Amino acid sequence: MTSRSLGQFYPVASPVHALDPRVKILATAVFVVGLFLIDSTVGLLFVAAALMALVAVSRIPAGTFLRLLRPVLFIVALTVLFQVLFSREGATLLEWGFFEVHSGGLRQGFFLALRILLLVSSAGLLTATTAPVALADGLEDLLAPLKRVRFPAHEVAMMMTIALRFIPTLGEEADKITKAQAARGADFSEGGPLRRARTLVPVLVPLTVGAFRRADELADAMESRGYRGGEGRTRYRELRFRKGDALALAVTVLVLLVGVLL
Amino acid sequence: MKLELKDVRYVYAPGTPFEVEALRGVSLVVEPDEVLGIIGGTGSGKSTLAQHMNLLLTPAGGEVLVDGVDAISLEKSELRRRVGLVFQFPESALFAPTVEEDVAFAPRQLGLDEEEVKERVRESLRALGAEELAARSPFALSGGEKRRAAIAGVLAMKPEVLVLDEPTAGLDPATRQDLLALILGLREAGVSVVLVSHDLDEVAEVTDRVCILEEGRVRAVGTPAEVFYQDPTQAPATVRVTSLLKEAKPEIGDPVRFGETLDALRALQEV
Repeated sequence: MTSRSLGQFYPVASPVHALDPRVKILATAVFVVGLFLIDSTVGLLFVAAALMALVAVSRIPAGTFLRLLRPVLFIVALTVLFQVLFSREGATLLEWGFFEVHSGGLRQGFFLALRILLLVSSAGLLTATTAPVALADGLEDLLAPLKRVRFPAHEVAMMMTIALRFIPTLGEEADKITKAQAARGADFSEGGPLRRARTLVPVLVPLTVGAFRRADELADAMESRGYRGGEGRTRYRELRFRKGDALALAVTVLVLLVGVLL
Repeated sequence: MKLELKDVRYVYAPGTPFEVEALRGVSLVVEPDEVLGIIGGTGSGKSTLAQHMNLLLTPAGGEVLVDGVDAISLEKSELRRRVGLVFQFPESALFAPTVEEDVAFAPRQLGLDEEEVKERVRESLRALGAEELAARSPFALSGGEKRRAAIAGVLAMKPEVLVLDEPTAGLDPATRQDLLALILGLREAGVSVVLVSHDLDEVAEVTDRVCILEEGRVRAVGTPAEVFYQDPTQAPATVRVTSLLKEAKPEIGDPVRFGETLDALRALQEV
């Protein structure tokens, strides 16, 4: 798997990468909630500028970051299209039979597009600047208070870590099996949907069998290394809340407050 | 069939921090009816090179020629039939309910009629000494049996060149011997074989020519004797022994295969 997509960790050293993952998760949550409280385009633009500044600080190349957004462009385009076509607010700009384009629709479309893009960007920035393991550690800590009501915080975090860890592995495996079947004459591009679904059987069967085998092996490996759940378990990487983290959180809240007020 | 690679280059994940230059201009010819060994450390580009031979990977530079014709211009399915590729650990791609059906997958994709498919399945399984596995589930077999079934699945296409990527990795000695015998048998039948391997001893035993890859480049290519006596530290056990004896007894010559080496040692004793 060589293509990069939404949610992949981008390993460079930057102040954003160095932040406490708990802070980054919290800040992202604040950001997302804030996005839905902001009701002016100016406010959104202000927040967007702040996010762009943050991306610059994170040392992720702009092109790479924009590529992260590609998977949602379709949804954005669809949203804009619906707004432009079906909104009847504001002055009429264009009339063509049944279709009418109003200034309000354009404004609304732009606003929603910006909101979706910001939503995805903030989540994308979180996963791009936080290693999966750190993300899971942070989440476990944040969920820890729920342990009192018997919520399995450690187990959830462990499952998340394992799932994230095995996405590239299974991707590689799928790639390998696809190639092996292609070498035996499998053609994945021809025929209608039904035929194409059938051509996937030679890939999906071994992939599933392999995933189960891996799960078995992983469980054995964990047991043989003495894993027995989260009780009394210490960490190699202790999370530390530093001054910079407090500052980052404060700035995030402040930026969103300004956005809401604008 | 003659398979030619000309200045082939390949880069994984170009333009990202994960960029790896895997092949840096490899030129190599697989002659008709020969067994060509490809050796080199991990990460030297062996597997990447193997995947260029049937264009599962498209070279970023250079070209692949099949009997002098640019392979890109050929029909993909035709190219993959003519150049059979067996991946490393091919058993991970077994999928059908029975071995028979799994081996039948490739010939069916070729659009052969059922009679011919059955015949090919029988033939390939026989070539691998796996006839008795036909009706069994590929998931219930031992490692060596799975490997046999998986290789039979590619052999059933009757390729003109068979590329084997570390076919003996993790196998028991008996299955390994059977596979090496199969390679020699295929050459007798007019099939060229490319054997990618870490095991210098087995490469010495069956190949006509050897190519050493290093960091995506061809470091040496020639007969096993030429290549291995050039640098006996990176050679099979037979060559390491004879190259030491050679200092005192140059008349021992350049034996590489186990049998040859034994004969040379005997000859030395009789003198």
